[in-house]
Amino acid sequence: MTLPVKNSPKERDSALLLAIAAGDRRALEELYLSFHRRLARFLSRFTPRYENVEEIINDTFLVVWQSAKDFRNASQVSTWIIGIAYRTALKSFRRQKNHAGARSLEDYPEQTVDPTLDAEVHDWLNHGLSRLPMEQRLTLELAYHMGHSLEEIAAITDCPVGTVKARMFHAREKLRQYLPALSGAPSGLSARIG
Amino acid sequence: MTHNRRTENSAEHHEVSALLPWYVNETLGERDRRIVDAHLGVCTVCSEDLAAQRRICEAISAQPAIDYMPVASLKRLQARLDTQVESAGALAPPPEQSAHRWPWRGWMAASLATMAVAVSLLAAGRWVQMEARLTQPNYRTVTNSAPRPQGEVIRAVFSPTITLVELQTILDEAQLKIVSGPTEAGVYSLASNSTLTVRASLALLRQHSTVRFAEGTLPEPDSGSSP
Repeated sequence: MTLPVKNSPKERDSALLLAIAAGDRRALEELYLSFHRRLARFLSRFTPRYENVEEIINDTFLVVWQSAKDFRNASQVSTWIIGIAYRTALKSFRRQKNHAGARSLEDYPEQTVDPTLDAEVHDWLNHGLSRLPMEQRLTLELAYHMGHSLEEIAAITDCPVGTVKARMFHAREKLRQYLPALSGAPSGLSARIG
Repeated sequence: MTHNRRTENSAEHHEVSALLPWYVNETLGERDRRIVDAHLGVCTVCSEDLAAQRRICEAISAQPAIDYMPVASLKRLQARLDTQVESAGALAPPPEQSAHRWPWRGWMAASLATMAVAVSLLAAGRWVQMEARLTQPNYRTVTNSAPRPQGEVIRAVFSPTITLVELQTILDEAQLKIVSGPTEAGVYSLASNSTLTVRASLALLRQHSTVRFAEGTLPEPDSGSSP
């Protein structure tokens, strides 16, 4: 199948999904590769283990392959796929949460550190984020790293807009305590990290 | 400060405070953005919180990327798909090679090929529209004066909740095929697939509640009688 070269990302995603619905494996590969990086980054907030991240991404794309024909244009393709990944990851996390799924700073050595980033801020932020409940951590990630709107996050996480706002509110309050310098809280409110 | 305390206790303050993360990532709608802008002008608490949220947003965005190997992961996914097809083929749509392994499924391969051609035309049509969009006005109508795609006899708008399978079924029944679309307004350009008259195809389309709009586009209305 020949796909247009100059499409916008949204149009390209829609065209690829239509092709997938028609059984086009090459379209599935293209969509997979275009989503892999952002899904891997997002899912690394669930689990630091690459094998788990890969498994969740592949489970997600199995669902995409099987359900593309049922996709409704009411939402964006990216919102739909990230929502599948979110639900797949939650199931995986709940299965594993009594084992090695919970993350800690010791899980980070696999990551490649950008030398231009302040390592102290990086560790500090990770530590603060790791202390948040998963739903709050992911809401922050969806809004601040992936740039999703309030309504999109509600669709991805399959919950009301009010719940998204509440999760974000609590995440911000906790970060204000855990990361007072970054969050701009008065020093008297600072909580000790570690 | 008194003014700020009063602001801090207001319903508007709480509403704006809850919206700040999406003000930061610039996804708020125009109305909400204006409310936040106005409130920030009088509330130092929210202004300080906004600065803090921007720092957190920047720090989260600047976190290092993780070097994964997508191609290796993709190969494992492909192996899983192949295994599924080999074992049952029930869950996954049949891959393109399936016709070679199971010749009795040739009709299915032909059907898929037809659908793939339709999708190609659809995708190509979208690209052409995107190119043309630069020269089009900001408003859009269903029957604009843009040149008709070759073979177009009908323009139609379907419900946004229609699935691809439902869409294909309706088009098959009306003996139509997609030559372009959907546009940003959701308009598909359809060409006739048979000797069925345009009027008859329109009548078949309009029977479905998921067809929101369907009109012929030929200069002279089709005067043929319905079957």
